[in-house]
Amino acid sequence: MSSRSDFLDFLARSGAVLAKDWRTELRSRYALNSLALFAFSTLVTVSMALGPVGSSPLAQPLLPVILWLILLFAATAGLPRTFVGEEETHTAIALRLAGPPEAVFAGKLGFALSLTFALEILVVPLFLAMTDLSPKDPGLFVATLAACGFGLAAGSTLVAAMVAQARGKGTLFAVLLLPMLVPLLVMAVALTRAAVSGEPPVVEITQVLLYDGMVTIGGFLLFPAVWNP
Amino acid sequence: MLTFSDLARRFGRHVVLTGQSGTVAPGQLLTVLGRNGSGKSTLLRILAGLLVADRGTVEYHEDGRPLSLGERRRAVGYVAPDLSFYEDLSALENLQFFARLRGLPSTAAEEWLARVDLPPERAAGALSSGMRQRLRFAFALMARPRLLLLDEPVQNLDAVGATLVRTLLAEHLSGGGAGSGAGGGLAVVANPEPLDLGRPAESGDHVLTL
Repeated sequence: MSSRSDFLDFLARSGAVLAKDWRTELRSRYALNSLALFAFSTLVTVSMALGPVGSSPLAQPLLPVILWLILLFAATAGLPRTFVGEEETHTAIALRLAGPPEAVFAGKLGFALSLTFALEILVVPLFLAMTDLSPKDPGLFVATLAACGFGLAAGSTLVAAMVAQARGKGTLFAVLLLPMLVPLLVMAVALTRAAVSGEPPVVEITQVLLYDGMVTIGGFLLFPAVWNP
Repeated sequence: MLTFSDLARRFGRHVVLTGQSGTVAPGQLLTVLGRNGSGKSTLLRILAGLLVADRGTVEYHEDGRPLSLGERRRAVGYVAPDLSFYEDLSALENLQFFARLRGLPSTAAEEWLARVDLPPERAAGALSSGMRQRLRFAFALMARPRLLLLDEPVQNLDAVGATLVRTLLAEHLSGGGAGSGAGGGLAVVANPEPLDLGRPAESGDHVLTL
């Protein structure tokens, strides 16, 4: 950005994409329904299959894994729509003609972030209530959710943009996304365990922030090439 | 000035363009004629920067400066059957969104919806085919581009709509459109038949048959 006005212009254009995505989502509710349905059914299944898992000390280490698997698969059920929907309905052509790629990516990233945080707000309190899980370090727990949720959204947005023009989008999305998110999930589980036990984390939150930064910067650098025909 | 030379494009084993060339100067109209599948739409998509040619070059200058592919894509006014809008949003919401994305005031959206005579509150998904075509014109002209690329511009339009399109195109070419610049705007029109604008022979319009 060469000046402050350029940056404000970039924010206005990105904000337009974000507002449009939320407006269309609130009317169609496609991604919201997918996320909510997957998250709710997974929570119920976990609760019924494992019983009150929080009461068993042996099951405690598993709970962070289950939480992040629920968040991962719920997110992957809804987040690809950010770009795939634009290609399927041919609105991507108008978007390409009207918007600078960086502003489109920033708007889509903002939408994926807000959707992921909405998912966490919906799922995490229910999960804590159903499993009697109570983090001894709530600050670290919230920071983990925020930082790892950011990485989940950023990685999903980048991969969704990459596969949107391809055939077999669903399979390709999973094949590309899961290897990218494995390091993030490992860190998310380790940090969540630390937040629950109150012990010092073996992974620093700064490592997750570094991951978030790399994925976001990589997204902004790669997206114009991916978005071009 | 728009210049393209030796453009070639194939889809798999199917060859669509085999080395087409042309030049369009300000105030001129290039009409691209050809049968279905002859490559008219492909040529326009390449000129718009929505598709990359396998061979050949496209050069487009504005104010004496060559535009990159990305700049050209955002500078052209493009109307084509594959241009779609958000069906859950109204016609006005669609245009307001694209106006904001282009850095235009939202009044541009209202102004152009009135110009093409569309009901602003109707959802894009509930518009008839002819109304969608009018919305495409509002989308394309809202940013007042110097280069218009029109693929079958009068398709699905009734007689009133077709007259409106001819008027808009004539205004654009004559420089009457606010964005068409000195010497008038440029236009490339792909159509199964010549679009009669009643323009004199000295206007420099020409035809490319594929």
